[in-house]
Amino acid sequence: MVQHYLKSTWRNLTRNKVYTAINVVGLAIGVASCLLIFLYVQHELSYDKAFTKHDRIYRVVNNLIVGDDVEKASITHAALAPGLAGDYPEIEAATRMIDWNKKVLRLEEKALSIDHVFFVDSNYFDLFDYKLLEGNPKTALTEPNTMVISEEVAGKFFANPLDAMFSTLQIGGDSYKITGILRAVDAAHMKPNVLISLNSLPAELRERFKSNWFSTNSYTYILLRQPDLANALQAKLPDFVERRVAPARGDTKERVELYLQPLTYIHLNSDYLWEAFPVGNKSYIYIFSFVGIFILLIASINYMNLATARSVKRAREVGLRKVVGASRPQLIAQFLSESVLLTLLSLLIALVFVELLLPSFNSLTEKQIPSTYFTNPTLLLLIIGIGIFIGLVAGSYPALVLSHFRPVDILKSDKTPQGGGAMLRKALVVLQFTISLVLIIGTVVVYSQMHYLKKQDLGFTKEQVLVIDIPSGDSAIVSKMPVIKAELLRNPAITKVATAGMIPGEETGVIIFNVERDGKMTEKTMNTIWVDYDYFDLMGIPVKKGRNFSKDMPTDLDNGFIINEAAAKALGWTDNPIGKRIGGSDTTSGRVIGMTEDFNYKSLHSQIEPLVIMLAPENSGSLLARISPGHFSETMTYVESTWQRLAPTHPLDYTFLDDSFNQQYRAEEKMLTIFGYFAGLTILIACMGLFGLASFMAEQRTKEIGIRKVLGSSVSDIVLLLTKDFALLVLVAIVLACPIAWYGMDKWLQDFAYRTQISAWIFILSGLAALALAILTVSYKATRAALTDPVLALRSE
Amino acid sequence: MNKEELIIETENLQKKYITDTVETTALAGVDLKIKKGEFVAIMGPSGCGKSTLLNILGMLDSPSSGAFRFLGQDISKATERQRAKLRKENLGFVFQSFNLIDELTVEENIALPLAYLGVSKADTEKKAREAMERMGIAHRRNHFPQQLSGGQQQRAAIARATVSNPSLILADEPTGNLDSVHGREVMSLLSELNEAGTTVVMVTHSPSDAEYAHRIVNLFDGQIVTENLNVRRHATELL
Ligand SMILES: Nc1ncnc2c1ncn2[C@@H]1O[C@H](COP(=O)(O)OP(=O)(O)OP(=O)(O)O)[C@@H](O)[C@H]1O
Ligand SMILES: [Mg+2]
Repeated sequence: MVQHYLKSTWRNLTRNKVYTAINVVGLAIGVASCLLIFLYVQHELSYDKAFTKHDRIYRVVNNLIVGDDVEKASITHAALAPGLAGDYPEIEAATRMIDWNKKVLRLEEKALSIDHVFFVDSNYFDLFDYKLLEGNPKTALTEPNTMVISEEVAGKFFANPLDAMFSTLQIGGDSYKITGILRAVDAAHMKPNVLISLNSLPAELRERFKSNWFSTNSYTYILLRQPDLANALQAKLPDFVERRVAPARGDTKERVELYLQPLTYIHLNSDYLWEAFPVGNKSYIYIFSFVGIFILLIASINYMNLATARSVKRAREVGLRKVVGASRPQLIAQFLSESVLLTLLSLLIALVFVELLLPSFNSLTEKQIPSTYFTNPTLLLLIIGIGIFIGLVAGSYPALVLSHFRPVDILKSDKTPQGGGAMLRKALVVLQFTISLVLIIGTVVVYSQMHYLKKQDLGFTKEQVLVIDIPSGDSAIVSKMPVIKAELLRNPAITKVATAGMIPGEETGVIIFNVERDGKMTEKTMNTIWVDYDYFDLMGIPVKKGRNFSKDMPTDLDNGFIINEAAAKALGWTDNPIGKRIGGSDTTSGRVIGMTEDFNYKSLHSQIEPLVIMLAPENSGSLLARISPGHFSETMTYVESTWQRLAPTHPLDYTFLDDSFNQQYRAEEKMLTIFGYFAGLTILIACMGLFGLASFMAEQRTKEIGIRKVLGSSVSDIVLLLTKDFALLVLVAIVLACPIAWYGMDKWLQDFAYRTQISAWIFILSGLAALALAILTVSYKATRAALTDPVLALRSE
Repeated sequence: MNKEELIIETENLQKKYITDTVETTALAGVDLKIKKGEFVAIMGPSGCGKSTLLNILGMLDSPSSGAFRFLGQDISKATERQRAKLRKENLGFVFQSFNLIDELTVEENIALPLAYLGVSKADTEKKAREAMERMGIAHRRNHFPQQLSGGQQQRAAIARATVSNPSLILADEPTGNLDSVHGREVMSLLSELNEAGTTVVMVTHSPSDAEYAHRIVNLFDGQIVTENLNVRRHATELL
């Protein structure tokens, strides 16, 4: 019997090639998209799970609280790790990571700028069991001036990465021996390139770390003896602060609260500042999961629709099978096995699609999702299970309807029972197009919002500004800054130069200020940046009240503060902020000397927050140069050679301000691209289904078309007749999709402080596009049907 | 008449079709007895209820009221499942057209009833071959229905109707779509089967086809008006 089913299934599939192709390929595209999304979601959810002790590892983070201001910081005091490990026996080990950012690594003549360099405690690998291709994890980080580098970094210096072992690289003036080469973990919230033994730091500095409860510089991770000890330990942390932290901090008004974050929770859930790597976004996981399910749903609907439409043709077969003795369960089994076979075939094709598309998908998502997922037997079983499930669900309606036909009804005449199938089919087409349209409108709204953000007036001129990285800690280069600036200005294309601690788009500093409010000094935590004399001029930020920093006023260096308008408002200095008292710990001589107009120094997600700008011309960070349009490559050559001449130890490392500012929207733009692809796919699959339905409809109505033509209908009359039903369905979908999309996108836009208007045009154009596509699909079929010779059509009956 | 010998017995069989507005009485009280081994022809004008009666006798449809006994078993109380079982074990059908499944070869079409009966593979092959040889279409076994002539298709249909050795064959205008030569061929095949012991009930418009039957039942407006013994046929039998 099974063999019989397989044979008749195969015949049915090969007999109806268009139908089979639409079903199998459509479903395969749907399943492949769904699988890619599934892999993506699984990858996001698997962060840090590669570390075998992940369930016992926690990160300790701190809330730094002054009055109502809470700064949630992921970096903690260097004294925290040793302090906790010493006090609580349930902590098996505690380790620190200190971010050294980007450094130039040098091997003989070869110098490369490598980011994500960290100092770590020697027990680092006890927690994070990276696979070391070379070296002993127990001892690799114990000696001073040793480091473990990633395979990738090793590969940049050596043809064979493993040859890097035991060679010595220079950073700044110091040498570090490579004592291990690690294989990077992509799904990890920390992806260090270089791990330097913390013992390389001077002994007296390390000693000071033990009692440093003032400045935060370390990511702190602890390994518990049992995973379930976390809650109990969390409950003890307030006491720890009371006993160990608060007394050491003396009379600062800033309170510290400590919290434990499970390691695997960080990537998608942490909302703490100063992460070394951007964290993920949980809502994207939800959105993508929904999109995946929708795509699968749309493809499954195609299957159901085409199968029920085709049931008209297969009714006779069903009738005859019943007459010769088939029972209803046998028929149901036949149709279900046909359906499952078809989905399994699609699945196979889908797996091939995924395998082919994964590299592009990875570069799109900037992930390294391995295709080895498919060799995982549980996943494979799951996929097959899903395939069978889709087959059963998608095949169940046709199976039940078809097996229900009564042979007398079918055999008596050529007429086939229509049943409720037609109505359901229409409803499903409407559902498909509604979903597709919501996704398309969503994509367009997201796109227009991104566009809106990019063309927003930021309050500064971000175009044509070159941003050169000043190597922090390289005092030789920092001291040469005035010379470099002067040299750059000699080129007529470079109109302005300045230095700044942070550029817009980067995270700012956060400082507790003492400020004058209603005649009293109070504490207020505010964002801070450090700039030089030329910053405002170069950026085009107007100083609205008071004055800019001036070289003629030596007191500006320590006592001059410029605030933004938002700060003036927040502090209640509405009439005139100039001359108000402000300062760090010294509260006597600091004064506000100027107030700028508000400018967007953070992303446009948020409203402009209060900002205090301090003068620090010697501070490293970035060197900014405004260049005039045109002669770009000559100018860059000049910059390059100047830099090479004056700062030969450090390769020129530059970006452009507009690029780096737009980096903040990268995550969103990336999602937008992916989302756009998937939205496109849904409409493609929906149209494939429509094409299939139109084919059957044309086939079913061949006789009617023939008679109409004999009676004098024109081709266009007939095309219109056949197309208008489908067009109506799409119109209904448009009516349904618009409010849903509007509601969803309005909600999404709420996340932005600056948001575009959702224009009615988006709805009209998306709707028209979908309608046009649907009409094109159907009328292609309808025209072919209408053009057939009527005699032929009638004879075939 | 001995009751044991009856294969079919109906009493006051009625069938009404109720559509939106009209009620059509297709059968208005049919009393019919058919003995085992008989060859009965049902005749009558178009729309008089012949197909309706045949479908009820073949348990493809159920009567609105009245009694129907098949081999002495009351069918009006049988479930759909029981009827399907009786059908596949005892009945063979031949229709005017639309007899074969397009996607299956001649041989597969013929073997289909055996598949649903759960006959072993070897037996199936043997029985299907025998049936095809009997009907003279063995050389076309691997063809698909569209590749056969109408007469060949009908022979294949009869081969399928007989492959499982049913005790009753129901045929609704089996020669309706055939020319006279092929029509005669089909009729003689049915006749041979009847002579081998199979009961045959056939609906026909053709008096010459009816000649093959033992008995002719004339239907008019859903009622039996006359039942004639086919004198010529009986005469030949008596010889
Ligand atoms: N499904 C149905 N719904 C309503 N009326 C029906 C249905 N099937 C048959 N009838 C009616 O029942 C009557 C008998 O139909 P039946 O098909 O049995 O006629 P017939 O004797 O086989 O005619 P023909 O010789 O033309 O095949 C007809 O009047 C027909 O219109
Ligand atoms: Mg009839």
